[in-house]
Amino acid sequence: MDTQFIRNFCIIAHIDHGKSTLADRLIELTGTVQKREMRAQMLDSMDLERERGITIKASAVTIWHTYKGQKYELNLIDTPGHVDFNYEVQKALQACEGALLLVDASQGVEAQTVANAYLAVEAGLEVLPVVNKVDLPHARPDAACEEIENSIGIDASDALRVSAKSGIGVMELLDRLVERIPPPKGDPNAPLRCLIFDAVYNEFRGIIVYMRVVEGTLKEREITHMLGTDKVYEAVEIGRFTPEMKRTGSLSPGEVGYFISNIKNLGDVRIGDTMTIHKGPKVEMLPGYRPPMHMVYADFYPTNTGDFESLREALETLSLSDSSFSFEAVTSEALGFGFRCGFLGLLHMEIVQERLEREHDIDMIQTAPTVTYRIRLENGEEREIHSPGQLPTSDKYAQILEPYARVNILTPTEFIGNVMTIASDHRGTYVRQEHLSPTRVQLVYDIPLAELIYDFFDKLKSSTRGYGTLNYEISGFKESDLVKLRILVNTKEVDALTCIVHKDQAEFRGRSAIKKMRKEIPRHLFEIALQAAIDGRIIARETISALRKDVTAKCYGGDVTRKRKLLEKQKEGKRRMRQIGNVDIPQKAFLAVLGGDDEEGDKK
Amino acid sequence: MSEPATPWTRADPTLARGVPDETPRRERAAAGTPLYVHLPFCAAKCHYCDFFSVPAEGHDRAAMIAAILREAELFAPRAPRTVFFGGGTPSLLSIAELTMLLDGLDRITGFRGAALEVTAECNPESLDRDKARAFLDLGVRRLSIGFQSLHDDVLKLFGRVHGVDDSFRAFEAARAAGVQELNVDLIYAVPGQTAEAWSTDLTRVLRLGSEHLSAYNLTFEEDTVFRRWLEQGRLAKSPEDVELDLFELTRELTRAHGLEAYEISNFARAGHACEHNLNYWRNGEYLGIGPSAVSKQGTRRLGNVKAIGAYARRIQETGNALHWEEDPPASTRLAESWWLGLRLAEGVSAREAAERARFEGDDSAARKLAGELEEQGLLERQEDRLRLSARGLPLGDWVAKRFLDTLS
Ligand SMILES: Nc1nc2c(ncn2[C@@H]2O[C@H](COP(=O)(O)OP(=O)(O)O)[C@@H](O)[C@H]2O)c(=O)[nH]1
Ligand code: SF4
Repeated sequence: MDTQFIRNFCIIAHIDHGKSTLADRLIELTGTVQKREMRAQMLDSMDLERERGITIKASAVTIWHTYKGQKYELNLIDTPGHVDFNYEVQKALQACEGALLLVDASQGVEAQTVANAYLAVEAGLEVLPVVNKVDLPHARPDAACEEIENSIGIDASDALRVSAKSGIGVMELLDRLVERIPPPKGDPNAPLRCLIFDAVYNEFRGIIVYMRVVEGTLKEREITHMLGTDKVYEAVEIGRFTPEMKRTGSLSPGEVGYFISNIKNLGDVRIGDTMTIHKGPKVEMLPGYRPPMHMVYADFYPTNTGDFESLREALETLSLSDSSFSFEAVTSEALGFGFRCGFLGLLHMEIVQERLEREHDIDMIQTAPTVTYRIRLENGEEREIHSPGQLPTSDKYAQILEPYARVNILTPTEFIGNVMTIASDHRGTYVRQEHLSPTRVQLVYDIPLAELIYDFFDKLKSSTRGYGTLNYEISGFKESDLVKLRILVNTKEVDALTCIVHKDQAEFRGRSAIKKMRKEIPRHLFEIALQAAIDGRIIARETISALRKDVTAKCYGGDVTRKRKLLEKQKEGKRRMRQIGNVDIPQKAFLAVLGGDDEEGDKK
Repeated sequence: MSEPATPWTRADPTLARGVPDETPRRERAAAGTPLYVHLPFCAAKCHYCDFFSVPAEGHDRAAMIAAILREAELFAPRAPRTVFFGGGTPSLLSIAELTMLLDGLDRITGFRGAALEVTAECNPESLDRDKARAFLDLGVRRLSIGFQSLHDDVLKLFGRVHGVDDSFRAFEAARAAGVQELNVDLIYAVPGQTAEAWSTDLTRVLRLGSEHLSAYNLTFEEDTVFRRWLEQGRLAKSPEDVELDLFELTRELTRAHGLEAYEISNFARAGHACEHNLNYWRNGEYLGIGPSAVSKQGTRRLGNVKAIGAYARRIQETGNALHWEEDPPASTRLAESWWLGLRLAEGVSAREAAERARFEGDDSAARKLAGELEEQGLLERQEDRLRLSARGLPLGDWVAKRFLDTLS
């Protein structure tokens, strides 16, 4: 197809603002899929995405729209919505010329939407503001438009007003898409350059590469060359997403589709790589993606030490469809062999962990996440610390620095006071404040990333009744008064529980950590002492008394099955436990150094 | 209502999904198999009780008896070694109803001539001399009386409909009627109960000279009023050290009165242990009839529906009221045999455990674990038999979990 009849676009929206519903409606109204065949919300394919309602994996679908008698090919490339997935958003954006900025007319603009819209503007995309859910009685489309203009600085005077649910305005939206989003450029006869923007692994077909042809034409049976990894593969099958995979035999400039070559070696495909013709004319690599920035690290250890290799394989498979986390083998005295993994953020970490367990059926112990610290030695040399255990004693370095984030918080004005309180509780420094509309305000703070990880998200949500949203980016490293907090179980130090905390908070954090551990560690036949220590000094102690009585009083014929299942349920918790010394420590206890509401913990 | 699902458990789909082919099925039990009969009626529901029972008023008891007899006709063993009428409160049936049930059952199984032990559970409010006499005449030679507490306020808290005096009166009535095998049921570790108070109560009961005593630590089972009260904070569990004291005190006092602690909660004079229950702990086969009753056949356990109406209807329509079955893997069965066998003073040997579980593989993991637990002082050995030691007894579930954990 002639590139002038192609449009590549994505949808930028906050969670629940209606991206999936709009995608469904576009697919349905253009007759791409018969309505009755439609699985609701086709694009969110992973279970996990469905459950959490967030898109974590870019995917694509091609739809056809007739405008003024001409048939157009519209490629919708799905982007993740959450702040942790900036990197994936960037990849998806690179494959588009335009973006729909979808805002819920009853909610207004949210912090993450602002961040992603900026990325789109930066990448040179045409951004079309769209106000959704206008069918709702309490929709405030004008206020939403005002917020778009004030927060992102794009003209929203002619923003389209739609209802993704009822279909109002969606046909006009399709027309507008064709009119306003520029067609891809690219010479079909130039040497081939394709952008690999995603990949998934399929058990039967090997790696399925998601790509966009930038220049030239890709045909089946051609021999291709991936420049970054320097791998050569034959194009066995080429096709498009309709949204099911449909073989087309070739792809021309601007088109988005898939490439299959029975690639089994996971390392051979790298997202962001450029694909060209093997032994064809020499071409420049497409501008590379910015490498993902890992701000949060955590260690994964298999519950059964024998599963180390399976964990490695699972991480390799997963890294294919999510290139934005890193992993390297580590050893812990307490937990044996495992992997230190780097993530974009906390949610990203949770998703990787869940996918490992769900899709790969691996039981793991995960340590509490930590940020990257830097130490400056006497001789001026700087070193990165990815794990608290690596931090030497304070006499071995001159300074310790921690990463700070510039945090944008959007909240209804009534909660300004609450937000300011929690920001200062989390060692935040006030930067500025802007009113987006009479009822909504943007607050900007510099906050240590470690504080964000600790419990800032939760606190923000609870102190704004869920209305506050935030977005952050790393603003740099600053010197801090930090100390190493160690946890001892029956006087044995557990390296996996060590953390780095601010001096003023060390006592409180130590106390709260072992309190939580006391609740999580089951009683043993002997007494267990839990201690928190800073440098050589014990600052808190808890004891778990020995278990002396645990027996079913009544156990007759009719009871056996049920009692056994009760016992099995108690032992089920044991699967995710590791032995340290002779103490069984469950997964949850390893996260005790993380924040969370103590009061709530007490109630449970 | 159904048991929680596990991969090898199947709930009855005729209730759940309507695929009658998958209804669990039983065979008629082999001759001699112990027989359990569940009579689901009580005067009122006790607050701690999680057995399947309903208030007696307003139910067609004759229809229930007819259904139970019908189920017995189809599945009950000839000449059962032991018969146990549980519930519910069997003594709540009138003499006429008991006659209908027991005559019918004898016609079907011939238990009167064959069984070496026939027990019925009784509650004080429905046991007098005539009833006890009727039981004897109808072939029930062993009665178990639910005293539960020696304090009227506690009985009230329990939701029981009788007073302390009624319990003693019922006991004397049974003796006067000529019943020679009597059990008394008691519950201890009631909130606030001290060792002194329990010692006084238990001694008073022991002086009655029953052949058998069951003393249970109070538990807060799921779906009971007590559990709800516990969760609401209206009731508190006794502290662990108190429970432990009472547990040990119970063993001492019973021994001093000539009763052997042959199981965690069961005590008997020599030769008077309950054979029917011993079979459960020896992981033997049994046949259960009546609503909610459980059977064990081969390696499987099967349970009837826990509903009066559905039970009677299904028995009438198809003769089969099974609602769930499970066929645990061999390793789980082996763990069960150990867990149940270790509860007994007679203990269990590795060979017996494997035989009872129909476990044919390599059981060295179980033997090794048993050895470890013995070293830890939780088990003790008499020749090739192992049992829970004095220290291990109150940790019986912990030991059971080790077996389940290690073997499955
Ligand atoms: N009333 C109304 N509800 C909508 C509209 N669009 C989406 N929704 C609802 O908003 C919720 C979130 O939509 P969804 O498409 O899952 O949002 P996503 O998280 O951005 O993909 C769902 O309950 C939708 O039914 C709309 O135009 N009007
Ligand atoms: S009498 Fe027995 S079966 Fe009936 S409710 Fe009370 S404890 Fe339960």
